[in-house]
Amino acid sequence: MSKDSTAVAEAQTEKAGKLRAEADLDMLKILVDSVREYAIIMLDPKGQLVSWSPAAERLKGYTAEEIIGKHISVFCTAEDKASGKTERELETATREGRFEDEGWRVRKDGTKFWANVVVTALRDVNGTLRGFGNVTRDLSQRRESEERIKRQAKEILEMATVIVQVWDGIILVPLIGMLDSDRTQQLMERLLQRLTETNSPVALIDITGVPTIDTQTAQHLIETIKAVRYIGSEVVLTGVRPAIAQTLVHLGIDLSGATTRSSLTAGLRVAFEIINIHVARESAHGAAVGK
Amino acid sequence: MSETEQGTVPIDVEADIAVARRLVRDIAGEMGFGVTETTRIITAASELGRNVFKYAGKGVMHWRTLQKEDACGVELRFEDHGPGIADLDAAMREGHSTGGGLGMGLPGAKRLMDEMDIRTSVGEGTTVVVRKWRQR
Amino acid sequence: MNEGIAVLKVRDVLLVTMPADPDDATVSALQSRTLDAMEQHDVKALILDLSKVEILDSYFARTVAETARMVTLMGGETLIAGMRPSVAITATELNVTLGATRTVLTVDRALDLAGNLSRNKSVRKGRPWL
Repeated sequence: MSKDSTAVAEAQTEKAGKLRAEADLDMLKILVDSVREYAIIMLDPKGQLVSWSPAAERLKGYTAEEIIGKHISVFCTAEDKASGKTERELETATREGRFEDEGWRVRKDGTKFWANVVVTALRDVNGTLRGFGNVTRDLSQRRESEERIKRQAKEILEMATVIVQVWDGIILVPLIGMLDSDRTQQLMERLLQRLTETNSPVALIDITGVPTIDTQTAQHLIETIKAVRYIGSEVVLTGVRPAIAQTLVHLGIDLSGATTRSSLTAGLRVAFEIINIHVARESAHGAAVGK
Repeated sequence: MSETEQGTVPIDVEADIAVARRLVRDIAGEMGFGVTETTRIITAASELGRNVFKYAGKGVMHWRTLQKEDACGVELRFEDHGPGIADLDAAMREGHSTGGGLGMGLPGAKRLMDEMDIRTSVGEGTTVVVRKWRQR
Repeated sequence: MNEGIAVLKVRDVLLVTMPADPDDATVSALQSRTLDAMEQHDVKALILDLSKVEILDSYFARTVAETARMVTLMGGETLIAGMRPSVAITATELNVTLGATRTVLTVDRALDLAGNLSRNKSVRKGRPWL
């Protein structure tokens, strides 16, 4: 009699366990289906899709019927497919347990999107590879933001090249930031144009706003100075503070084509001398007339 | 100019260098290059055309317009069957801060253009191809 | 199209105006005509007006530098006036040198400077040569 009840009890425990397991499984499925930001899918050990989710459908465009059974490489770009990227991903996941990557993925309609993908090897308690988990996140928006920030930074830098006439014959360029090839090009054209238009003998270039001088920036400065001299004007370079002077000497850079000063004030005085205006050194009030 | 156009200019006498310059000016103008870019292209053409005349005695300048999705450009190809360049590395390094204008001005031409390819063989000749692009 | 160079002598200053895109023969003429003029007259300064010039290649630059050197040897000075921005930029990128010359914005300024030289007025402190 007790044997029967034990058997019944066991059967009941087993049944309860199964029910609980099913309930857990239901919850897991609800979890996977509910997560909207991540497309969570499962692959078999060969890399073929065995599960799908609403998020995956929304992100990649395929319905479950269309995609289940297909190989994961269907989401790769042509170049990646040709180079065997998917095989490498699965191999790495098998070997190290996981693989993470950022790159282009392809939707059903052929459009591309930038994604973060994590592939995890799924093993059972015995360590046997049962398949892979693939979690894909759409980073398109983030990438768009990054591109937009890059573009705006470039525009700001362009706007930051200001060229001002401070006196008859003196054109001031307060440089902010570093000088790359494009910016130097733009600077040279605009500065030379202004100098010739206004017949200004002096270009006063202030580099107080240039954080550091590397060889490239120095080269660009040297070229700008040369070009200004070719058209017949002179360069007074100001803002050459101790740290910059040190760097210039260490790099062996020759700025002898220009007159250099550490402060804009001193440079302005030189500029006035060049155009033959004497500026008294004492305070402005009444000094020019003489007290 | 929406389709590709091309042509050839012989470089047989010194005066042909100026002819090549004028043609390049017209092409650059039609392609919509600005003043400074046009000046660069013409100057590079003058240097490379002069090389052909100076070292090979005669040769040709082939030109053609280029089209890309977001850019258009011009390609100039200078060909001669002259002595070739024995030490290309040296030729590409020379002229730097020595001025004077001796030598081939290859680094200068490279600087002025966007792309440059050189193929040369001693005793057989030289081909220099340069390209300049403009964003649409 | 062969616009020649224009050579004008104003007192002891030689003013040479170059055309927009001189061919090699015209560029050579710059040197020969300058030398001729200096042979016949007492020339204290050569003013080279490049305001019309659109292309300055290495041959042109070399000829200018050579001519300037000759002028210096004969006791004169060479002033280059009116180089265009596009030419100046290209000249920098081509890394040419114009030798013992001094550059000024306009022919007017060049004449002022040259006038000072010939009248032996003290020239204002020279800036380094190009």
